[in-house]
Amino acid sequence: MLRGFLGRLRGKIRVWARRRHGIDTDPTVLSGRRIYILPTGLGVAFAAMLFSMFLGAMNYANNLALGLAFTLGALGLTAMHYCHRNLAGLKISSAASQPVFTGETAHFSIALENLSPLARHELTIGNEHGTAMPVRIDSAGRAVLQVEVPARRRGSLRLDHFEVATRHPFGLFRAWAYLHMDMSCIVYPRPAPRGAVPPPVETDVGGAQDSQRGDEDFAGLRNFHPGDAPARIAWKAYARQQGLQVKVYAGTAVTSHWLDWNSLPGLSVEARLSQLCRWIEDAHAAGHAFGLKLPNLQLPVNIGPAHRQRCLTALALFDPAAGSQNPPS
Amino acid sequence: MMNRRGATGAAALPRFTQQLIWVLAGFVLAVLPHVPDLSPWIVAMASLGVAVRLIIELRDWPLPPKWLRIAIALLVMLGVLATYRTLNGLQAGTAFLVIMGAMKLLETRTTRDLTVVIFVAYFLLFAGFLYHQSLLRLPWMLGTAWLLTVTLMRTHQSAPMAMREAMALTGRMLLQALPLAVALFLFFPRLPGQFWAVPARSGATSGLSDTLSPGDVSELSLSDATAFRVKFDGPLPPPAQRYWRGPVLHDFDGRTWRRSQGFFPAQSITATGPIYNYRITLEPHNRRWVFGLDAVTDWPGERTGLTFDRQLLARAPIAAPASFTLHSSTAYEFVGALPSGIRNIDTRTGDSNPRSKQLALELMAQSGDPAAFVQAVLNKFRDEEYFYTLEPPRLEADSIDDFLFNTRRGFCEHFASAFTFLARAAGIPARVVAGYQGGEFNPMGGYLIVRQSDAHAWSEVWLESRGWVRVDPTAAVAPERIERGMQAALPESEPVPGRLINQYDALVKLRLAWDALNTAWNDSVVEFGAEHQRALLEGLGIEDADWQALGVGLVLALAVFFTLLSAWLGWRFRPRRADPIARSYQQLCQRLARVDLARQLHEGPQDYLRRVAGRRPELAAPLAQISRLYLGLRYGPSAGEAELRRLKILIQRLKV
Repeated sequence: MLRGFLGRLRGKIRVWARRRHGIDTDPTVLSGRRIYILPTGLGVAFAAMLFSMFLGAMNYANNLALGLAFTLGALGLTAMHYCHRNLAGLKISSAASQPVFTGETAHFSIALENLSPLARHELTIGNEHGTAMPVRIDSAGRAVLQVEVPARRRGSLRLDHFEVATRHPFGLFRAWAYLHMDMSCIVYPRPAPRGAVPPPVETDVGGAQDSQRGDEDFAGLRNFHPGDAPARIAWKAYARQQGLQVKVYAGTAVTSHWLDWNSLPGLSVEARLSQLCRWIEDAHAAGHAFGLKLPNLQLPVNIGPAHRQRCLTALALFDPAAGSQNPPS
Repeated sequence: MMNRRGATGAAALPRFTQQLIWVLAGFVLAVLPHVPDLSPWIVAMASLGVAVRLIIELRDWPLPPKWLRIAIALLVMLGVLATYRTLNGLQAGTAFLVIMGAMKLLETRTTRDLTVVIFVAYFLLFAGFLYHQSLLRLPWMLGTAWLLTVTLMRTHQSAPMAMREAMALTGRMLLQALPLAVALFLFFPRLPGQFWAVPARSGATSGLSDTLSPGDVSELSLSDATAFRVKFDGPLPPPAQRYWRGPVLHDFDGRTWRRSQGFFPAQSITATGPIYNYRITLEPHNRRWVFGLDAVTDWPGERTGLTFDRQLLARAPIAAPASFTLHSSTAYEFVGALPSGIRNIDTRTGDSNPRSKQLALELMAQSGDPAAFVQAVLNKFRDEEYFYTLEPPRLEADSIDDFLFNTRRGFCEHFASAFTFLARAAGIPARVVAGYQGGEFNPMGGYLIVRQSDAHAWSEVWLESRGWVRVDPTAAVAPERIERGMQAALPESEPVPGRLINQYDALVKLRLAWDALNTAWNDSVVEFGAEHQRALLEGLGIEDADWQALGVGLVLALAVFFTLLSAWLGWRFRPRRADPIARSYQQLCQRLARVDLARQLHEGPQDYLRRVAGRRPELAAPLAQISRLYLGLRYGPSAGEAELRRLKILIQRLKV
């Protein structure tokens, strides 16, 4: 009950902070004015202890006990300033985030950079889904932390908000800042269960005929496509200023598929995308070449991780209403 | 994890274990000052708790189950209740805190648990100050507080923090917090009294008792501890006049002298000699006597009162160091006659000690008048075989008879008791006065130290012409005791406190210096109160400061503290400035950006300046020079001052 109320209150404060500060630039250097600070439960307990010390010392008119209470109190207030200053002036920038499948957890990497000549301690980032393990960042040092967001739907997942926080030095106070950076992560469709519908197979004429001749036989050069293994690049040809070419061996291009949207009639849009995703994953895992046909989009047959990523991104951003997909940005 | 207790030692221990060991150390340091005041079983249980927790951690055993922990906690709580009969009050509260802290250790598993133990230890330090405020303990207490704070910081770090770094950081924070703490201490309004009653500490009385039984096991304090200190405003009274009056004893049952429960009109005096003006600072003795010098003529009426027999009593038992400003005279006359009620109680002898009564009557018959009788008794003590010793034999039921006719050995109590009895038996009103006699002058602090070993007892007799007259029979037997102290009066074979120290001049000086320091500490810190505050504010030019003025001052102090600390921290954390070479280059880039020749993110200095030169051919020559200089300074083998200056000049003169 109380927890729920506090959660809603936090949400309201965060929305208010967003209106106040707007979308943050990348990188952002935290100014002192946007850092909020409150005592933790421990801080409240500490204050209660100091208050009872104070009452006792006044009651017994005991100056040393009073001095102890005042010193610890002043130390607590000093700690408050250290806590605030531990965040102020921190440089925050976005780092890369890896695409994930629907149902997995997206990890947004965020870099914290300490520009000051003193070390900063116990820095962490987090959101309502969790908090990263606090780190110490030495002078002129840098640390990359991750915020987690569950990827519930395919498409482009925006990181709406996150907090940078610290409890340094004694855990008596928690200072934090809300950040709203323009960061997003691609969420691929969830792959359909394996083996539900086998992919259509279409044999690549050139490769298959010569496949009996073995993998080792050099069959010629073809133009480089992104995603080709660097080991296959004909560097000598490149040195002769013939552009990037790839050595083709007989039998290299084995089975190849055309993965076609239209070959899956009778399924819903998401089910089709899931099935296509499964096919892409299987073909990629098996080292097969494949091409992808979507309404109004066709990605030619190719192999390699970059090709897989391009195809999966096309699935992720597929917009059934337009009958097309937005060009990947 | 195999073999956590490896030979590599502490460095190999897991972090939680290390943190636990530090917390245990802090807890033990905070408990140690309480050990003399605690029940032995509580000390034993607390040690057991610490030891068991340590073994559990090092052997990697499981913690005791919850039901066992609850059972133990309930048992020890009942134990505290049974020992102290209450959970309220300082002693029971401290015992409870110690035992609960030790029991908490048995369930300590998380950072939060460790923090709770640290808080308990902080509170034990606080309780320690309530027991003792001596300067001697201060370094221990402060050291423990620092260690606890360091440990608190280290337990709240996810990344390991070295002891040195934590000590430096907390040390700096404590120093920064100190000015605010001092301001709060100086200006926070003090209350005149307790605002809720707490049970007084029991059994801790020290110094003089309010009964006197010569012949029982000696209760004379052989302690070297200070009873009180006196600072005179003006000259000191001569040593033979330094009688500090405490309890006055009237009722005698044949063996023990007691205070009178009667109530009589006070008798006034007129001083005939100099008035001494002094400030007496008593160590807490948990009784009410303020040991004023001889006849007190002026005293703070709101805190003290004078009884009919001129005992100066504080309104409440003195449980903390307390100071009183008094006036006294050592030469005075009583005004008026002795009230019959007083005469009545002070001539009672009871049925005991028949031989002494007989002796008194004989002496009175020989001497004729009271003054001559007094002299006759003193002469008897001086001329016959009576000895001053701190180790007298025990006395029979009729203690005065036994002392006067058999043992003939005793100290001040024996002589004062015997003299008073003889005077009463002769019909002269007489009473026993207990107190202190003498005192050591501390030239470094300019005050007298009166120790427990200066405790003394003497008589007062009523002579019709002069009123109450002090008679010190000990002075007849051992005049050195009065002039030069107990050590001079006793043979070498008898133990006297401080005899060993007094043989070495340097040690005596050291002791006096330490005492002077302690006194300054007590005067300025321990007893700092509303009076000091007023004096301090008047020194700052603020007259009649009330609560509101103090409140405003405190708020201002807080504001100043916040501003200064914030500014200082901001300055310490300011970002590093770029080096001068990079700054010059940035300046150039900014100037070029203003004329739409901004550097692209991917461009290095060479490419960028070549592109600019392509767009602005008239700048090609200086730009090429700048480019060469910059690259040389940046990546060349050695960067000279001259090159840097040239680069700066070239960039400044570039007409973009």
